[in-house]
Amino acid sequence: MLTYTPGETLAHRLDPRGKLAVQFSFAIAIFAGPAVPWLPAMLALAVGCLLLAGLSVWRALRTYWVVLLVLSLGPVLGAVTLGPPWIQPERGLDSLRSVARVVPVLFVSAAFVHSTPVRETRAAIQRTVPGRFGQLLGVGVALTFRFIPVVREDLRRIREAVLARGGERRPLRDRAGRITTLALARSMARADRLSVALQARCFAWNPTLPRLSFAPVDYAVLALAAGLALSPLL
Amino acid sequence: MSQEYSDSVDLVNAGTVAYLSGAVLIAALTAVLAQFSIDLPGGVPFSFQPFGVFFAGILLGPIWGGFSMLLYLLVGIAGAPVFSNGTAGVGIVLGPTGGFLISYVFAAAAIGLVAHRSLAPVSVDDLPAVGVTAGLVVGSAIIYAIGVPWFAEVQGWTLPRAAGFMAPFAVGDAIKIAITVGIVAGGNELLERP
Repeated sequence: MLTYTPGETLAHRLDPRGKLAVQFSFAIAIFAGPAVPWLPAMLALAVGCLLLAGLSVWRALRTYWVVLLVLSLGPVLGAVTLGPPWIQPERGLDSLRSVARVVPVLFVSAAFVHSTPVRETRAAIQRTVPGRFGQLLGVGVALTFRFIPVVREDLRRIREAVLARGGERRPLRDRAGRITTLALARSMARADRLSVALQARCFAWNPTLPRLSFAPVDYAVLALAAGLALSPLL
Repeated sequence: MSQEYSDSVDLVNAGTVAYLSGAVLIAALTAVLAQFSIDLPGGVPFSFQPFGVFFAGILLGPIWGGFSMLLYLLVGIAGAPVFSNGTAGVGIVLGPTGGFLISYVFAAAAIGLVAHRSLAPVSVDDLPAVGVTAGLVVGSAIIYAIGVPWFAEVQGWTLPRAAGFMAPFAVGDAIKIAITVGIVAGGNELLERP
């Protein structure tokens, strides 16, 4: 499982806003640009991002193996037809050209995930999306990240309790309904407690966020993002 | 002294805090359910992923239900391993199944709008089974209407081929709609909120 890993690489030191901008611009460049001539260059850039984040190509491939498996079905099933001539290689090639664009995007996002803590992304969202909507998004992302392990543990306990009472012998509808209802009830009870706790701590529209500041290298990253976003116009 | 603090701190009102808390927990539950399945006879996995989307709309209404799914999407983009098979990142959202993930925001909002028939959610007890069923059918239709063309585009397939590939999943979703309606229409006191 690929998650944030503390480190001292250049990618780790960059401002999260610049890194987010590069990710989205990279996607625009690769999906809106001409696929075949640009693909080797974009792949090289993506591998460069991986190396800058201290991540190997093999690790990125292993992380996304299920997605890569689904992508590989594209050319294989794309070439097959249900009647003569049974195989149409040019349709498989069309599909291959399409799915190949996703691989470099996966690499760039792996580099981002590996080198950026969620709290920095939260601060970037909150500082980039304007107004109270941006603030709610920022707080919501941070709290959701915090509550995932708690809810996972709740669900594990529910599953064990249902199993301990012979739940696996019940019909599917009963089992699934029981697990879902209990998980929802526990989550909503937690939501009520979270709501009280936030108010008890004076949850406000004007909190203190971690400082984010652009170093000279971040401006270079931002320029790269702008270049990539505009590249399809060339 | 107290005047000084009340001038500098702009408190979020209680209603917004309650809905934000609900949206956070439903987003976290959706993330956990995305990795959760039970084995049916024959070893076929029964995934729980759609239940998070369904109940986001049913419990939180259109606005906060959609917001909850947006949180789920953003947490995954930010790097939490919340998409299926414990993956994360923009690459997944832009990948073959990314259309389904993006559609959750619109599906939860549509389910909430059709089931509650207003932007402000009413109590789950007062939701008619017909409205909930209609909402879930519309929500599922939105999931497929965005997810399947997206899948076809990324895979470089024709739309009918992608639809044929995804058709078996619709059977499982129909069962999940029936289970969800059963939970809501059964007047489950566990889901009542003050």
